[in-house]
Amino acid sequence: MGKGGFYLETKDPIIKFAVVEKILNLARANSLWPMTFGLACCAIEMMSTAMARFDIDRFGAGIFRASPRQSDLMIVSGTVTKKMAPTLVTLYEQMPSPKWVIAMGNCAISGGPFAFEGQYNVVEGVDLLVPVDVYIPGCPPRPEGLLEGLMKLEEKITGTRRFPTVEQKW
Amino acid sequence: MVKKTLEDIKNTLQDVDASEISYAERGYHLAIEAQKGSLVSVVEFFADKGFYLADLCCVDYVEYLELVYLFNNFKELCRAKVTLKVEPDKPVAPTISHIYTMAHWYEREIHEFFGVYFEGHQKLTYLFLHNGIDCYPLRKNRVPVTDDDKKLLDSFKPEEEEDAFFINLGPQHPSTHGVLRVVLKMDGEYILSAEPVLGYLHRMHEKMAENRSYQQFLPNPARMDYPGALLFNLAHVAAVEKLCGIEVPERAQYIRTITCELNRISSHLLWIGAFLGDLGGLTPFLYAFDDRENILDILESATGSRLTYCYFRFGGLYNDIDDNFIDMTKKFIKRMHERLGMYEKLITKNVIFINRVRGIGILEQSEVPKYGCSGPIIRSTGMPFDIRKVEPYAAYDKIDFEIPTGKTGDNMDRYMVRMKEMEISLNIVEKAIEKLPSGPFNAEKVPKKLKPPKGDVYHAVESTRGETGVYIVSDESDKPYRMRWRVPSFSNLMTFPALAQRTLLADAIATMGSFDLVIPEIDR
Repeated sequence: MGKGGFYLETKDPIIKFAVVEKILNLARANSLWPMTFGLACCAIEMMSTAMARFDIDRFGAGIFRASPRQSDLMIVSGTVTKKMAPTLVTLYEQMPSPKWVIAMGNCAISGGPFAFEGQYNVVEGVDLLVPVDVYIPGCPPRPEGLLEGLMKLEEKITGTRRFPTVEQKW
Repeated sequence: MVKKTLEDIKNTLQDVDASEISYAERGYHLAIEAQKGSLVSVVEFFADKGFYLADLCCVDYVEYLELVYLFNNFKELCRAKVTLKVEPDKPVAPTISHIYTMAHWYEREIHEFFGVYFEGHQKLTYLFLHNGIDCYPLRKNRVPVTDDDKKLLDSFKPEEEEDAFFINLGPQHPSTHGVLRVVLKMDGEYILSAEPVLGYLHRMHEKMAENRSYQQFLPNPARMDYPGALLFNLAHVAAVEKLCGIEVPERAQYIRTITCELNRISSHLLWIGAFLGDLGGLTPFLYAFDDRENILDILESATGSRLTYCYFRFGGLYNDIDDNFIDMTKKFIKRMHERLGMYEKLITKNVIFINRVRGIGILEQSEVPKYGCSGPIIRSTGMPFDIRKVEPYAAYDKIDFEIPTGKTGDNMDRYMVRMKEMEISLNIVEKAIEKLPSGPFNAEKVPKKLKPPKGDVYHAVESTRGETGVYIVSDESDKPYRMRWRVPSFSNLMTFPALAQRTLLADAIATMGSFDLVIPEIDR
């Protein structure tokens, strides 16, 4: 993993054009192309998010690509097993930079319910394999949760939040 | 049927110990103890009588390992359990894979999880586990992997051959519905052979069951089969109830039936979307999810979650349903009947769709017992086998419903059977709501800490994909000694290599889509 494309590509460029960069980031944040990468239960909620009721397209992230070469967002939706880990890293490295990762659900965050003493097959957190930008807890998270995660990622990319936050009342 | 089979066994087979068992307590009719020498003849006897291999699993009793072969008959219910004891140091058993094709995979599974070596098995390589595994996971004591088996660990390397090239379908592929990997050996556009590689989502449910009490395991089944979570939940709960002898009140039984059928419809809707998506039509996906969200709303009001339900409890339910639930369900039934007509116009009569699926992936009825597959797949071949009818659980014996069957067993028939099943599920829900009795929804006096009596039990339910069975061995503690899941997709997938042979790649995708595979269920 150390030799992967990630480290080299995300190094700061020598010359930076602040305004151009800002505009580009705005464009990137509002047209994220996620990869069709369903692992387990959370993938069904990811599909629900893409469908009519929750409509992820409202935030510009509705174009699910089957190929990592065409996508810039990997939503790790489910449990990553040790057998799957090399594939996941390969997929991540195949994505063109700049790229982002959302860890969706408890399994992707920490192994979730499958991290117990004596377990032999589950990677306890996808951040052990690839750098993660946004964590969405839940088992599985609701589609609203995924949408909120997407806005958080947008905030991370551009530095500002486009949509208002809901104030907690408790 | 049971008496006759027992008589036949006693007449034809020597050196076996057969006896009849109380079906109500154990979930199977016959218990047969075979020896190493006689096992193959016992299995051949069952194969001759038209039995299918429902399950093959292993239990580690430390002093010995016990192989459990569960047979059942499609025509008349007669469950038989054949056991074979093998020594734990160097366990060796004769293979039955030449009699039942499905045993190929079951034996490979037992080999990697218990280290049992099957004599005569053609390809005893690893099916589920990753390369770094160093002991047999389901053995009670830590047994390191032997050197011979270590060589088998990284064995999946297709050999180079002339005029053939290999395609990896998966693990990341939209039409494998998750992380299934199929290695296809191709000749141009035609598939020469297909070899599924499993275990990319093996989440150790069976191992977890041994580490947790019965209550703590309650959320797990929903994560095994997430589109049909309630049905797996029911399989687990009902098996434990059978083991402990807990009576479930009638109202709970009816509510179980209603929620399970609603879940079945939502699972089938998801399948329609995914299946048509595989074939290249994304529009039905949007329609199906629209309807599915309606069911999720209804189930969420009762269960509290959208997808991975954990609603049933030992002896009853988590909470009661209210009038709002019933109103919503009635509204949904009315709406769904109309929508089914729309689906028929949109999909069933679509020429492009018909040409993609008709006459492709034909499963012969005579092949079915060899694989032991179940659910809509065998009903499409014209076999009216449904656990809800032959082995009624919940309130299915009090509700009249028909079983849809197909004729040829091709992709179109599998599609039609599922469409018809949705309609029938709607009718079941309607009738169950009419008959819904009042009363308590939880059994009284269910202990907080369940300690079932010693023994084993097998309980099967008809999940959306077929026969889902739970085999529990109890040792009187609050944790199961061994919990084995017989999952339908596993045996359904086994037919795929045969059906995909010598077909076009695009047709194989259609066949795979029609199976309605759920990968966490296969990998467990």
